[in-house]
Amino acid sequence: MSAIHRALAAVRGLFQRRRLEAELDEELRFHLAMETAAQLRQGASPEEAARRAALKLGGLEPTKEAARSARGYRGLEALGQDVRFALRLLRRNPAYAGAVVAALALGIGANTAIFSVVRGVLLHELPYREPGRLVVLHQRQPPDLDRDQLFSVPDIEDLRRRQHTFASLAEYHSMWFNLLGRAEPERVQTGVVSANFFNVLGTRALLGRTFSPDDDKPGAQPVLVFSHAYWLRSWGGDPAVIGRILEMNDHPHRVIGVLPPVPQYPNDNDLWMPTSACPFRSDPRTIAARQGRGYNVFGRLRPGVTLAQAQQDLATVNHSLLAEYPGDYPTGGYRIEAVPMLTELTARARPTLLLLLATVLLVLLIVCANVANLQLARLSSRGEEIGLRAALGAGRGRLLRQLLTESVILALLGAALGVGVAAALLRALVAFAARFTSRTGDIALDGQVLVFTLAVAVVAGLLSGTLPALAASRGIAGAMSAGGRAGGGGGGGQGQAGSVRLRALLAGVQVAVSFLLLIGAGLTLRSVWKLQAVDAGFNPENALAVAVDLDWAHYKTPALRRTFQRALLEKARALPGVAAAAYSSNYPLDGTGRATAGVRVEGRAIADSDLPQADFRFASPGAFAALGIRTERGRGLEETDRDGAPPVAVLGHALASRLFGSEDPVGRRVTFGPGTPLWHTVVGVIADVRDLSLDRDPGDAVWLPLDQNPALAGSLLLRSRRDPIDLAAAARRLVLDIDPRQPVGRVQTLETARSASLAAPRLTTLLLCAFAALALAVTVIGLGGVVAFGVIRRTREIGIRMALGADRGAILAAVLREGLAAVGTGLLVGAGAALLLARVIARLLFDVPPTDPVTYLAVALLLVAVAALACLLPARRATAVQPSLALRSL
Amino acid sequence: MATEKEDLLQGTLDLLILRTLAIEPQHGWGIAQRIEQVSRDVLSVTQGSLYPALYRLEEQGAIAAEWGISENNRRAKFYRLTRAGKRRLERETESWERFVEAVARVLRTA
Repeated sequence: MSAIHRALAAVRGLFQRRRLEAELDEELRFHLAMETAAQLRQGASPEEAARRAALKLGGLEPTKEAARSARGYRGLEALGQDVRFALRLLRRNPAYAGAVVAALALGIGANTAIFSVVRGVLLHELPYREPGRLVVLHQRQPPDLDRDQLFSVPDIEDLRRRQHTFASLAEYHSMWFNLLGRAEPERVQTGVVSANFFNVLGTRALLGRTFSPDDDKPGAQPVLVFSHAYWLRSWGGDPAVIGRILEMNDHPHRVIGVLPPVPQYPNDNDLWMPTSACPFRSDPRTIAARQGRGYNVFGRLRPGVTLAQAQQDLATVNHSLLAEYPGDYPTGGYRIEAVPMLTELTARARPTLLLLLATVLLVLLIVCANVANLQLARLSSRGEEIGLRAALGAGRGRLLRQLLTESVILALLGAALGVGVAAALLRALVAFAARFTSRTGDIALDGQVLVFTLAVAVVAGLLSGTLPALAASRGIAGAMSAGGRAGGGGGGGQGQAGSVRLRALLAGVQVAVSFLLLIGAGLTLRSVWKLQAVDAGFNPENALAVAVDLDWAHYKTPALRRTFQRALLEKARALPGVAAAAYSSNYPLDGTGRATAGVRVEGRAIADSDLPQADFRFASPGAFAALGIRTERGRGLEETDRDGAPPVAVLGHALASRLFGSEDPVGRRVTFGPGTPLWHTVVGVIADVRDLSLDRDPGDAVWLPLDQNPALAGSLLLRSRRDPIDLAAAARRLVLDIDPRQPVGRVQTLETARSASLAAPRLTTLLLCAFAALALAVTVIGLGGVVAFGVIRRTREIGIRMALGADRGAILAAVLREGLAAVGTGLLVGAGAALLLARVIARLLFDVPPTDPVTYLAVALLLVAVAALACLLPARRATAVQPSLALRSL
Repeated sequence: MATEKEDLLQGTLDLLILRTLAIEPQHGWGIAQRIEQVSRDVLSVTQGSLYPALYRLEEQGAIAAEWGISENNRRAKFYRLTRAGKRRLERETESWERFVEAVARVLRTA
């Protein structure tokens, strides 16, 4: 008979069980009746006849059992029996069941939660057409492989013409523009892209259309595509927006389409325009400038082409460009790198999320060990029941199966509860993930996550149930030989001792894993603490930054900008409550990029492309005071550095050292960028500012006077005597007073900016510490249980010792030994594991070595202290044992 | 856990059941009686294992069962040989006879 046939019969048998049982019963009773009648005919008495008939058949129940197993549905029926028995058992022991389910709920729930984030952010496919074919290109200058040099327009043109592995390449950069034509001027983040941008991604317009090649031709009428979010937010989702003419950069722009609510790469802009519509990008000088690198490139691979092949092809193209235009590359040249888009978008989030996933898996391991411990404790009191089962014919396999069923059921109940926990935490998790990545829209408790939860629950159940089940089945013999006496001072010694060793082993494992997690938490804690305390080079207290980016169309000349900026500063200084006012193109941790150019020192002959690069800032006098940046040498920027005065510059500390070493740079002359030199006299050196991010070294910085170089974009900086945010409204009004068409951008205190940059590491550390604390709590309970159990087991021994005059201290020590041995081994193993994994966590730490001995020691001390306390409490019960009572339980 | 002896006995029992049913359909007790008449030894070990054997044969499709009225007007489950069962009986009888012949030859030549 085939396997399917048998399986079907088994299932059928399960459903028709009652009917089949009745039939079996009737058949056997018929048989007995006939046999009894036959015996009567042979002359036996009625009772004798019945007895002989029963003997001949050989026992009703075993026959029925045998018949049932011949039927083939035994297996499923057994499982059903196990499940029902397990549920009954749990109902009768709600405390035990509750403890186990609660512990598993926490462990599994945490895993579900973190996995849903991992899945939504790291694993989920990008919402584009065939997303696996999308690749991002980077241009890098070895050895600095972190910084993207970006591409220039000639670079992109040549790439397009010479490459063979991409179906198409798209270009992207983002700018802030002012949108006019409505009641109020609006500041909009605009994505400036090549016409094929949306085609490469595979995004179709929701309304209207996206760009066509004609839209990107020089001189074409500027067109705009709205993003979905902006369309809803600013235009109320009005479909009549298509065809409207809006004014930007002094030109009419026609709205031609609205995008669907799909996140766009690389981030969500309010509007999108073709490159021909951007005044800077469409400028002939930009188009010709091979060294004007500032544009992002990504593309779609041709079908059948691998990433490796594309990389090779790009290397070839790069080589040819380096050979043809050696003057436009630094010595050593650039390298073009191709990275899959998904990898690119998840790079920042991946290390943290994987660390968290590993952490919760370890926490679950600890929880399983605890559950196993609990089960071992309970099994020692079920010795009688198990012995009975064995006597009734339960094989070892059957017993194992029943114990594991119990485990898995507990785990499944825990998982159900855990999913609820995760659901409750989902919103917090999404907020957390938003710090690292924009891909939070896909975080949800969906099918894949639930399957993962189910799998984890089954594994957890099996894991926590196997050891106790094996121990129990081995202890059957012991329980039976000792007359099935329940656990306690009684017999079954072999099984009992083994059980204690097993529990100690489990406790040891818990300690090791807890130690590992605590070290991880401790290291990240120290790292965050150092990050918070790092000298960022500026003083964020009581300072407000008001973004005022001038509309390019209305402030075309430096003179116009200068007038505005002078008026702005004059009015700002007059505001009540303002201690200092200044204007700067950037402020620390503002999240904006930097303008970079090469720095040439007078008297040194270096090729243009080999010049050291520096970040440029333009600041008004008093900016250093407003930002709290220390002047190290010479002076800062002053009122005398006006338009028409000799050009000056202030260097950052790092740049000064790099250019001049220990020589005094004050008085020396420098110029910037290629072309005709405009010599600036260095008048001072100021401290370095960590302005891109707190954990990265400050770059090379040059500060130029605003009045001599009126920048288009920047922020008004106000240092206040009171809470700086009070000045926000006044500052806004001030700007509108000078120019009613000039919108104000982001307003934030420097303190907020600084906190925002710390948010991600802070949250990560919080989570890690929470998980480590949870792990420690569970471990402590496990340790306590081991020692308590040991006390109970050795009650008689302790009683004898005390009767013989042993000192209570010695008893205490003897009992503690078991627990502390587990702690000791656990610490060693945990430390070993931590050292092995050191390199993995190093990337996430700031200024803290992953083998930091201070952390290891502190954590070890904490663990030992807590563990000792956990062991001490039950151990003290040992000293309270009455020798007479203990001896009597012999 | 079955020993060789039990396997052999089971095979023999199966054969005996099929042989019995080849004559006419019969209920469980009737089969037991017939087998007892044929071999006292075998039955004393296996009357309890008669029913599991019957169910196994039914699962395997060698016999089929249906409820009917017995000779003393009681409800009883009657088994009959199926066509597949008949084929199996012929096959096994053949191999059994060959086995017996081989044993006899061995004994003769010993």
